[in-house]
Amino acid sequence: MSAQAERRAAPPAKKGAEPRGPRAPLGERLAAWRDQHFYSFFSSLGRLAARPWATLLTVLVLGFAIALPLLFWLVFDNARELSGGLREAREVTLFLQPSLGPEQAESFAAELRRRDDVAAVLLRTPEQGLAEFRDLSGFGEALDALQSNPLPSVLVVTPRESGADEDPPLVAAMQADRRVDLVQYDAAWRRKLGGILHFGERVVAVVAVLLALATLLVIGNTVRMDIQARSAEISVMQMIGASNGFVRRPFLYAGFWYGLLGALLALLVVVVVELALAEPVARLVESYAHRFALHGLGAGVAAAVAGASTLLGWCGAWIATARHLAAGRPA
Amino acid sequence: MIRFDNVSKRYLTGLDALAEVSFEIEAGEMAFVTGHSGAGKSTLLKLVSLAERPTRGHVTVNERELARVRRRGIPQHRRGIGMVFQDHRLLTDRSVFDNVALPLLIAGTSRAEIAKRVRAALDKVGLLAREKAAPLALSTGEQQRVGIARAIVAKPPLIIADEPTGNLDPQLSLEIMNLFAEFGAVGTTVLIASHDLLLLKRMQKRVLVLDHGRLVDDYRPVRAA
Repeated sequence: MSAQAERRAAPPAKKGAEPRGPRAPLGERLAAWRDQHFYSFFSSLGRLAARPWATLLTVLVLGFAIALPLLFWLVFDNARELSGGLREAREVTLFLQPSLGPEQAESFAAELRRRDDVAAVLLRTPEQGLAEFRDLSGFGEALDALQSNPLPSVLVVTPRESGADEDPPLVAAMQADRRVDLVQYDAAWRRKLGGILHFGERVVAVVAVLLALATLLVIGNTVRMDIQARSAEISVMQMIGASNGFVRRPFLYAGFWYGLLGALLALLVVVVVELALAEPVARLVESYAHRFALHGLGAGVAAAVAGASTLLGWCGAWIATARHLAAGRPA
Repeated sequence: MIRFDNVSKRYLTGLDALAEVSFEIEAGEMAFVTGHSGAGKSTLLKLVSLAERPTRGHVTVNERELARVRRRGIPQHRRGIGMVFQDHRLLTDRSVFDNVALPLLIAGTSRAEIAKRVRAALDKVGLLAREKAAPLALSTGEQQRVGIARAIVAKPPLIIADEPTGNLDPQLSLEIMNLFAEFGAVGTTVLIASHDLLLLKRMQKRVLVLDHGRLVDDYRPVRAA
C-alpha cells in the first residue's frame, strides 16, 4: 500500500475522467456500441408495444397533425397544375369579325406571321370551333338545332417572348384592327390567379411549419411523461454509471418511432382521402377532356415526410431528455 | 482507496451534514460507517459516489481527487464503484439477469462476456438458478443479493453500500454482511453504512462512528483484516 500512498500525494495530472485500466480494442468497443444501439432500438419499440392504447393515441394525434398540411399541399399542388396550362399560356386569342370569310382569315393569319413579335399563329375555322364546343360543353344536341354556324374564325397568336410583364404591343394593335371583333388576353386575370395560388402555397407552408412544431411538442411531451414515469429507473442507471447518452438513447429511439409511425399514419390518411375523392375527381377530369389528372403524393415526397417526421420525433425526445438530465445532476 | 481531508458538507437548507471529517481507507479494506440517523452516513457515501460535492475539503477515491472529476466524468467515476442500496433499487420490468447485466451494458461489454460475468456474479450470491425470474418474485433477501450481484458484476475496486441490511432480519443480515466480507477478502474495498451495532460487533471490522456530522470514533478491531 505504501507505493499507492506515495502516488496519492501527487494526484495524476489527467484531465477529466479517463477510463480505468486498459481499454478494449476498437473493434470490440464498436461491437458493444452497436449492441447498445440494437438494444435501445428494439427495447424502445417493445416499450411502445407494451402500452398499445397510449401509443396509438399519440400516433393518431401525430398522424392527423401531419396529414392536414399534406392534404392542403396536395390540393394546392393539383390546383397549380390545373392552372399551370392557363398561367403559362401567352396566347392572344383573336375573334375575327363574322363577316370575314375563310380566305380573308387565312391572309390575315399570314400577315400576322410576318410580324417580328409573333412566334406562331393558329387558325381555327368556325367548323373546328363548333366541333370542339360540341365535345367540351355537352350541348351537342342543342347545337344540332342551330341552322348555321354562329362561331367566327379564331386566330390563336403566340407572341414572341418579350420577357416584360406588361401586355405585348400586339394586343393594342389588334384591338385597333377593324378585322378583329374581340381580343382575349387574360393577363390580369392570370396574374390574379397566380397571386391566389401563391397565397395558398404560403398558407400551406405556414400551416406545415406550425403543425411540425406541434409534432415536435407532442412527441417532446409524450417522451417527457415517459421520462417522469421512469425517473426512478433513470436515477438508478445514473447511480451505477450510465452516461447521459446511455440514459437518453431509449427515449431518442421512442421519439424516432413516434415520428415514423405518425408519418406512416399520415400517409395512410392521405391515401384514404385520395381514394375517397377518386370518383368525383374522375368525373371532373372527364369534363376537362383529360387535360388534367389528379396526382397523389410521390414516393419522394412520402419518403421526405417520413424522414422529416422521424427527425422531429428524435429532436423532440432530445429536448425532453436534455431538460431532464440538466435538472437531475449534481454540479 | 478512499481519503477524506477535512471534508465538510453543508446542504442548501443550512444543514451541516458533515463537519471536518478526515479518514483514510486502504485498498482491500472493509469498513463500516455508523451513527444515529441523520449523523451523515448517507452524505459520506454520496460524496464518494459524487452524488454530492463537499462544501469544503477534499475527497480522493482510487487516487483520484474528486474535485477534478467534472460533470462529464461522473458516469465513468461511478463505473468504478459498485453501489448497493437499502431498497436494492432493482428495475422491476426486467429479469434478474438483465438487472445484473445493466452495469456491463452501460460499460459497453460484449454480449458473450456479459452472459459469462452475470452468471459468475449470480453464482457468487447463490442465485444462479433464478436468473430468469422477475425481481418482484424474489424474497427481500434475494432481491438484496441481486442488488449485490449487480454491484460486483463489473468487478469494481470499490463497493459502497447504504444500509444494505436495513430491511432484513438478523439472520439474513449476517448472511449479506458475510457476502460483503468475502469480497473484501479478495482485495475489493468495501464501505458500508449501517446503524446495526450488533451486526457490526459480530463482523469485527473497522468502524467509523459519526455523530452530528463529526467523526467521533475510528474503531479498529485488534485482529484487523
